[in-house]
Amino acid sequence: MSRRRKRSIFDLMSEYMEDFRTWAEELIESVVAERPSWDTRSCCLEPLCNVLVAIDEVVVTADLPNTNPKSIRVEAVGEDFIEIRAKMKRKLRFDDFGITHRRGEFSSFRCQVRIPVPVDPEQMKIAFKRGVLEVHLPRKRG
Amino acid sequence: MSEPVKIVEKKPIPSDAIVVQGLPDVGLVGLIATAHIVSQFNLQEIAYVDSNLLPPIVVLHNGLPHSPLRIFANKDLIAVISEMPIPADAVQPITQALVSWVESKKAKITISIGGMPVPDRQDIKDPKVFGAASIASALKMLQEKGVDILKEGYMVGPQALVMRYCAEKNLPAIALLAQSFHNYPDPEAAAAAIKELTNITGLKIDVSQLLEKGEEIRLRARDVMKRTQHEMTRMKKSREYDLPLYV
Repeated sequence: MSRRRKRSIFDLMSEYMEDFRTWAEELIESVVAERPSWDTRSCCLEPLCNVLVAIDEVVVTADLPNTNPKSIRVEAVGEDFIEIRAKMKRKLRFDDFGITHRRGEFSSFRCQVRIPVPVDPEQMKIAFKRGVLEVHLPRKRG
Repeated sequence: MSEPVKIVEKKPIPSDAIVVQGLPDVGLVGLIATAHIVSQFNLQEIAYVDSNLLPPIVVLHNGLPHSPLRIFANKDLIAVISEMPIPADAVQPITQALVSWVESKKAKITISIGGMPVPDRQDIKDPKVFGAASIASALKMLQEKGVDILKEGYMVGPQALVMRYCAEKNLPAIALLAQSFHNYPDPEAAAAAIKELTNITGLKIDVSQLLEKGEEIRLRARDVMKRTQHEMTRMKKSREYDLPLYV
């Protein structure tokens, strides 16, 4: 008769972490990846974005090629999100990507980015270099 | 059981060729650079990778299906390119199969092109390129050509495993890593890597078109970048930022 080995707290933690990792990966897959990066109704492309939480600030970046820098708008939406909008220098159609089986054109970028920690949007600073937007949001203290 | 990774040859494969690999990774530097090389030299498709470890995807070009992971060549140059990220779980068997295939074709050298993420990329006008090598003779060659050497640190992903498997087989391989954005397609970094490739191999590759089309490439590469970002997270690419333990 085989004897079952008693599992240590470390085994249980390891299993829990593995389950959590799988769940998180599936969640990212379903929320982030499984929708188009374009919307023909609003004529918008969703830019690639990144959020970095530093000790004293949150830095959001967005890749905005083919953008007119003067058209960039960044606004706080509620307490947890910022919205980034920018107009393109020239409109794009699906044809420009070699796609002939879809119809539609795109004239701007738009996305909402979740800010994971409390920030002060009043003190927001933005910069636009090499086609990449940088939004600096100081973190709220206390 | 069938092989997990099969390289299907469609045309005769040149021997003694330079192999350039550009698999999706940081800033899509390798993919963008290698796609440009395929276009510049008008390389022809000679083989493709078939594997049940890859997602059930074909890429349509001019109405016909192709494997996303293909091999192009002329008589002196072989280019390996993937139009989709390699799933993290498949990187090891696929790079292992590619290195064995390269060995069987008696390639002169394997050059993997990639990106090296830097947080202040927006402030860098001319990205620097760093090199690493699988064996001492390849490292010496890089030093003689004046390439900045990646002396200490971690490499993660396809280029890392190409280097490791080539080292195990005592095959010459180098990695050229250009300073780049982590999560954004970076054609300027790709151009910098190509310039270093030209310095090392003597291949004449014009990058002016690549730089002119930079914005267009960044727009077209958004979705591949997003998928690649997901796989990079799964393979813990951020470990490249870690400081090494031994000095």
